Amino acid sequence: MNRLRCLALAPAAALLTATVGLPFLILAAYAFLSRGTYGGVALPWTLENWRRLADPLYAGILARSFLAAALATLLCLVLAFPLALSIARASRWKHLLLALVMLPFWTSLLVRAYAWMFLLRDTGLVNTLLMRLDLISEPLPLLYNWGAVVLGLVYAHLPFMVLPLYAALERQDPALLEAAADLGARQWHAFWRVTLPLAAPGIRAGVLLVFIPCLGTYLIPDLLGGGKTILVGTLIQNQFTTARDWPFGSAVSLALMAAVLVLLWLEVRRRKEPLL
Amino acid sequence: MTRRALLFFPALSGLGGCLRPKRRRLNVFNWSNYTARETLPRFERETGIEVRLGVYESNEEMLARVMSGNSGWDVAFPSNYFIGPMRELGLLAPLEHRRLSRLGHLEPRFQRPGWDPALSFCVPLYWGSSGILANPSLAPVPSSYADLWNPLYARRITMLDDPAEVYGAALRKLGRSLNASSPDDLRLAHAEALRQKPLLRAYLNAEARDLMAAGELAACQTWATTAQQAISAAPHLRFIHPADGFALYADCAVVLRESRRRELAHLFLDYLLRADVAAEIAIETFTATAVAPARQHLPEHITRMETLFPAEETLRRGEWFEPLPPAAQRLRDRLWTELKSA
Amino acid sequence: MKRAAALASVALLAFLHAPLLVLAAFSFNEGRFAVWEGFSWRWYAEAARDQRLVEAAGNSLWIAAAATLISTAAGTLCAWALWKRQSRLLTLGFSLSLVTPEIVTGVSLLAFFQWLFRFGGLQLGMHTVVLAHAGFCLAFVVFVVLARLRTMDASLEEAAMDLGATEWQAFRRVTLPNLAPGVVSAALLAFAISFDDYVITSLVAGVDTETLPMALYAMARRGGSPVVNAISTAIVALLGAAILAAEGLRRKE
Repeated sequence: MNRLRCLALAPAAALLTATVGLPFLILAAYAFLSRGTYGGVALPWTLENWRRLADPLYAGILARSFLAAALATLLCLVLAFPLALSIARASRWKHLLLALVMLPFWTSLLVRAYAWMFLLRDTGLVNTLLMRLDLISEPLPLLYNWGAVVLGLVYAHLPFMVLPLYAALERQDPALLEAAADLGARQWHAFWRVTLPLAAPGIRAGVLLVFIPCLGTYLIPDLLGGGKTILVGTLIQNQFTTARDWPFGSAVSLALMAAVLVLLWLEVRRRKEPLL
Repeated sequence: MTRRALLFFPALSGLGGCLRPKRRRLNVFNWSNYTARETLPRFERETGIEVRLGVYESNEEMLARVMSGNSGWDVAFPSNYFIGPMRELGLLAPLEHRRLSRLGHLEPRFQRPGWDPALSFCVPLYWGSSGILANPSLAPVPSSYADLWNPLYARRITMLDDPAEVYGAALRKLGRSLNASSPDDLRLAHAEALRQKPLLRAYLNAEARDLMAAGELAACQTWATTAQQAISAAPHLRFIHPADGFALYADCAVVLRESRRRELAHLFLDYLLRADVAAEIAIETFTATAVAPARQHLPEHITRMETLFPAEETLRRGEWFEPLPPAAQRLRDRLWTELKSA
Repeated sequence: MKRAAALASVALLAFLHAPLLVLAAFSFNEGRFAVWEGFSWRWYAEAARDQRLVEAAGNSLWIAAAATLISTAAGTLCAWALWKRQSRLLTLGFSLSLVTPEIVTGVSLLAFFQWLFRFGGLQLGMHTVVLAHAGFCLAFVVFVVLARLRTMDASLEEAAMDLGATEWQAFRRVTLPNLAPGVVSAALLAFAISFDDYVITSLVAGVDTETLPMALYAMARRGGSPVVNAISTAIVALLGAAILAAEGLRRKE
């Protein structure tokens, strides 16, 4: 590597070391220390935190979080695909439609979560409307359950699915579909055999960009789930706040990150392409 | 571009220093609901000291921020059960009583509180309780925490999203102390909480107030201050100090050890002990003040608020929260996680 | 099928915008609570008068601008350097940065600053927030810019160098102009991420660094003041107008 490239790498490498590398090392060290009496960490070094992780309770929470994230990712994919396809095929309004997808994400996510709570409450807009229309007689329990948690996860991460899907679909040549039709393929058939396989890179990128952050989110599931459920993000958050158990919180974080890194590594190996 | 970016960075961190006004200033880290509109401007006018106010919503949040010992804050307001731990962590500066001329204004029971008998580190300024806020138009008003286990209220009640409060209510229902910390007591409380969970709409803190005002809930466990705010918006709501006991807490002003402006900090604490200042805060924010002479400045409709100023007899059922021993804290957190994932 | 896709798209856009519409509607409500009491601008006036909100908005803009500048500059250079030559260590670093949940990033940075300050006598403040933001934006910038670089032809730069340009000149004159759309979208992404961050900021913020999300969250938790609705609506309206204007300009060209 020549000097110029080294120089070009230097600022990013320094920034990465200061904000990711060193903090990560401290976190890794914390995971092997004991809990300080009133918070913080203390000696001696110990494996206790890792032994606690083996508790089926925590394994269950981790498994449930993976399930919720997977479900949210799948829903994002199913919902985002037609939208990304429409935008990619739209001739004039492409940029405007993309902007419309991004626009809500310029307001604070927290504020939008509160707006959702207002929509979904028993006396909220959705229930009031349905009751006025005489479609239901009792308000539907829309808020404070698993459905609301998944809805929150999907809502918060949709654009991260739409954008890569759009990028992949936009590059597709419409002539391919015409050719398929000329050869007698029906619309669904052409979609299944032509559009979908060609969108694969976009799907993979979108799945990664949605699945990973879904795993660690805590504010949205907490607000919409009403604190009746617990995902690994909340578990970690609790360790650093109410429980004041930094070493155990660090251990849970490391376990979660390791699990995701392994998934990422498997994916990169399968693809035989560099991640970056 | 690199060079410019690198130059920009130290320049930015220096910016704060250069632009900082010459006036003396004090950095105050407080709960979001303990300042009246005029509290700070008047102090600034009278002393020429500029006050920078930052707010937090939970003790844990505050502790995480000041734990570094380099947060920049001078004054904070931890709850009574956080005073001990913060002192142990070396975060608090000893108070200089000669600078606090109005310390005698405190009500007698706050002159020698259990968590800091000599007031060497804290000035208890605001206090309150938790209890039950109920909507009489939807269901019979519960009189005790035990009533919140009644299937009558199924899916129309919420509890606070706080292990100390939820297990505390369960322990009082069982006739034990809020602060019971033996593994057996905690497990029993946990079993009760597990039984209650299917009846709950959710575990909510401040959000419960809006649901109560909108008529969605028959009852919720909440803090007196929050309850009073809901009652002001929806006067038909009622607050109950549960018959089986309830939690009391006091939020105390402290000077942080890291403060380089301890003299100004004491000046501010003494200002908050002034009768008119304390009264103004109590009126605007619906918090009970620990400053005795402030009572004379309070209008009758405030002093008559049973929610904020319960009768002596009611208060005897209240119990102050204490810090939990580490082993019990760890067990409670594990049980709490189990409760949440059930 | 096309019609089905279009219908689904409209439904999805409605889903994305439903909370915004609620916010916008109630920002014009005369009353404080969620019952319609008539049209009024009062919450907008109150938002503009609220010293704390105005200052927090200013802080947020400052922090996001600085973090965007730093992360985009460093990230673009880094992506260019990584274009032809991989670095396992950096790749690992960036993957780590992407898989770290926000709360963990925040706590580990706080722990790091605590250690650092033991020796330096420094305080949490604007610099720590900007550093944290630049740090978590960096990986996104590198990701986006590198994706753009991979669609470009490396031989162009080589041709320039064959014609006598130094490597730096080749980068400045040939690669960078072609890279511009990638850099711009990376900067926009970085700005959006930084501007909206609450979890990390609230942990590493100092005395003078309350940001807009922190102020809004505090207000929302105290019981949804309509001022929150007003300021959120104003931001979306301003950005929407900016996007429309940019689109109009682009069309004219």
